[in-house]
Amino acid sequence: MNALAAVLSRRLPEGQVVEGFRAEQWAVCDRVPQAVVFPESESEVAEVMRLATQEGWTVVPAGKGTWLHGGQPPGAVDVVLSTMRMDRITLYEPGDLTVTAEGGIGLDLLARRCGEHGQWLPLDPPGPRKGTLAATVSTASSGPLAYHHGSPKDHVLGVSLVTGDGRVLELGGRVVKNVAGFDVLKLTIGSWGTLGVLTSITTRLHPQPPADRTVLFRGEAAELVALARAIATAPAPLAALEMLLPGERERSGGPVSLLAVRILEAPEATDEICRIVTDTAGASAFRQMDGRASADLFRNVEALESGAELVVRLSLLPSQLEALRQYACTLRDLADPDEGWGTRLAAHVQNGILRVIMSRMARGEGWIDRAAEVIERVRGGLEAEGGSLTLSRGPCELVSAVGAWGDVGPAAPLMKTLKREFDPAGVLSPGRLGFL
Amino acid sequence: MSAALTSEVTADLQAIVGEQWVITDPVRLLAYESDGLTAYRRPPGAVVLPADTDDVSQVMACLAHAEVPVVPRGAGTGLSGGALAGPDAVIVATPRMNRIVHVDPENRLALLQPGVINADLTVAARPHGLYYAPDPSSQSACTIGGNVAENAGGPHCLKYGVTSRYVTGLTVVLYDGEVLRLGGLGRDSAGYDLTGVFIGSEGCFGIATEIEVRLLPIPQATRTLLAMFDQLEDAGEAVSAIVARGLLPAALEIIDRETIQAVEASIFAAGYPVDVEAALVIEFDGIEAGLDFEAEEAERCCWEKGAREVRRARSEEERLALWQGRKKAFGAFGRVAPDLLVQDATVPRTRLPEVLRAITEIGHRYGLRLANVFHAGDGNLHPNILFDRSDADELARVEQASREIMAVCVEAGGTITGEHGVGLDKRGYMRMVHSRDVLEVMRATKKAFDPWGGMNPGKVLP
Repeated sequence: MNALAAVLSRRLPEGQVVEGFRAEQWAVCDRVPQAVVFPESESEVAEVMRLATQEGWTVVPAGKGTWLHGGQPPGAVDVVLSTMRMDRITLYEPGDLTVTAEGGIGLDLLARRCGEHGQWLPLDPPGPRKGTLAATVSTASSGPLAYHHGSPKDHVLGVSLVTGDGRVLELGGRVVKNVAGFDVLKLTIGSWGTLGVLTSITTRLHPQPPADRTVLFRGEAAELVALARAIATAPAPLAALEMLLPGERERSGGPVSLLAVRILEAPEATDEICRIVTDTAGASAFRQMDGRASADLFRNVEALESGAELVVRLSLLPSQLEALRQYACTLRDLADPDEGWGTRLAAHVQNGILRVIMSRMARGEGWIDRAAEVIERVRGGLEAEGGSLTLSRGPCELVSAVGAWGDVGPAAPLMKTLKREFDPAGVLSPGRLGFL
Repeated sequence: MSAALTSEVTADLQAIVGEQWVITDPVRLLAYESDGLTAYRRPPGAVVLPADTDDVSQVMACLAHAEVPVVPRGAGTGLSGGALAGPDAVIVATPRMNRIVHVDPENRLALLQPGVINADLTVAARPHGLYYAPDPSSQSACTIGGNVAENAGGPHCLKYGVTSRYVTGLTVVLYDGEVLRLGGLGRDSAGYDLTGVFIGSEGCFGIATEIEVRLLPIPQATRTLLAMFDQLEDAGEAVSAIVARGLLPAALEIIDRETIQAVEASIFAAGYPVDVEAALVIEFDGIEAGLDFEAEEAERCCWEKGAREVRRARSEEERLALWQGRKKAFGAFGRVAPDLLVQDATVPRTRLPEVLRAITEIGHRYGLRLANVFHAGDGNLHPNILFDRSDADELARVEQASREIMAVCVEAGGTITGEHGVGLDKRGYMRMVHSRDVLEVMRATKKAFDPWGGMNPGKVLP
């Protein structure tokens, strides 16, 4: 056993520390941790963090490891701290429409328990459903439902956070309206494990939608963009508006371009919204899916990134959807035309977000430099128009070369000051947010 | 901070914004001696009225250089004393910054200066079929800048959420005059959510000088019900039953007997029966089809929980009449007692009945008149104490009872303020809900934005 793992083993109950080849599957990019720890309580998490600060070990918080390769690789990884054994629901009063659970609970388990009471947490981040609540909140991940139902920052009411030096902070609360002091909670959402370990989370819930319907439109990509923009401004509550395009130049027999309009309202209202959507579109839907079929379609959208080597997230104002698509087309030349399933484009139309999801990148002499050059050019163009480009995942060398995130601007020093407050020794996921 | 509001500083301010936009006349300063919480009164050293971001930046840099503290102020409708300044501080007020820069229906966004009145935004958005969702009770007077500072709520945030849900980006000016642009739709901002943490910072971090907000399509239709109950707790039970049935009303509001009587005795009389213990306003909105079903379900919940009467609005006039009792409650208290302490706390919804019982008991024990008006769907209580400030004994009892009410709410898993903010008024309660470590982190967060300590000093933190 290596020295670091030995120290941890002495402090934690048996079976909570893993090292050697069993730590390899928890590698962050190519960085294999010296130990992986699976604490079962908040106080054990705090113990690990106090120790890490004292010893100067870098710690990367994780759940089930779904997002370990997401974002920017940290500069160093001594310890991966997984909260996956902390997966209990600690307080659930259905009448409050809120639930408190340990951070390591899987979204699937949480959904099942709340579903028993006809309730629902409308979060549909990309990735497998077993991904943890803490990882979702920590990465502020969301999906097609975010525009209408909100993203983690709109759902989360309170958290327990163990800081870099082992302080336990209870931020926010468990009531839906709370302005007692500064909203420090917001800093932790999307902080990618650089401020602390989320051990407990209270979130609001919604009643499960009484009906689920998706209306599908089909057409050429440019036509669909126009249709998507028209439907986005229709006077009706749309739960999601997702545009799915094949990344390759369209050819007969290849995948088709789709626009999926999801409606989660009462049955009578659903019919009426459908009518408004088709009227606005001035086109008839090619297919309508109800209930399970509708849910399954969007489950497939959640799974789109599975197995992808490269995921690039482009963003502009929603009205600039066609420009986004053009930028996305620039990126498709990075794909290997002969390997994998190719490239797909998926846009959250209402939010102005388009993901380029690439099965496999083209290799060859100087491929990293070439890819970096193209990505930087697209990023520069988007940023000049007030948008952004984020690498959600990609080959480590590439992400390290161009950075997962774009320009932060003049607020960077302020953020660094905040980081120091939560993590004085700088041991938490250093470099995961680029400069933080 | 050693304050020095000298005549040189005043002259510098006049040079930046123009002579007429710096107020130093003691008589005119009286208009700024308090906000909506009139218990505290203290005129500021001066008031500056800048016109835009650039003005604010220069004004702040000037004041920071002279080490004079700054207190931002919108319409002054806040209820926690947050906009109060002393003679050594300068109020930077936003009434001239009241321009709606643009309404963008394509992206369902609006860009605003902070002095825009909340209700005016909805008026401007209406021709595009859009509106701004957060609707604090003071919406015809309060400003969006103030809403950002307080993270304002309102009756309809049960379904729609509070201000932070709708603000997508901010331009803020820090104490030293630095201008930061935070967030913005159409961009995945790198790093921490500074927009999120700025909202609700009560003027202690900086001044928001441009605000980007999301707009929503105007709901096609609404259904409004008013249910009368002989027991306050039954009204609370009806709220729980409606939620348990999986309904999500746009608003669920309760007013109690004391409040109904005050309203009915005033010029705002709304035709509520004066002998009921509670009135529950229920509103649904959305697509016309299906709303009747939801309203009927809610009505059934009310009958099951012992409602005496349920009224349903058949027209917009009737709808406004049903809302009248709720909306005019605060105005009506004026003729009942010389002073009113508007309390604000949130508890988990299911704890409402027991918390209400405890609050009533506290009122009796201290011999005080309590009137409850609250956002029942959110568990956001406003127990209002009617009293006479000139009676020193009564004033002492009011303070003691307030503290006990807060303790009851915190004990039930709630918090000391749901939407009015901490300001000057509730600093003393902050230790009830936050540990020393959390208060330290809040202090450090403020310090990251305002290392000089010049922004709204003495507020929020104990």
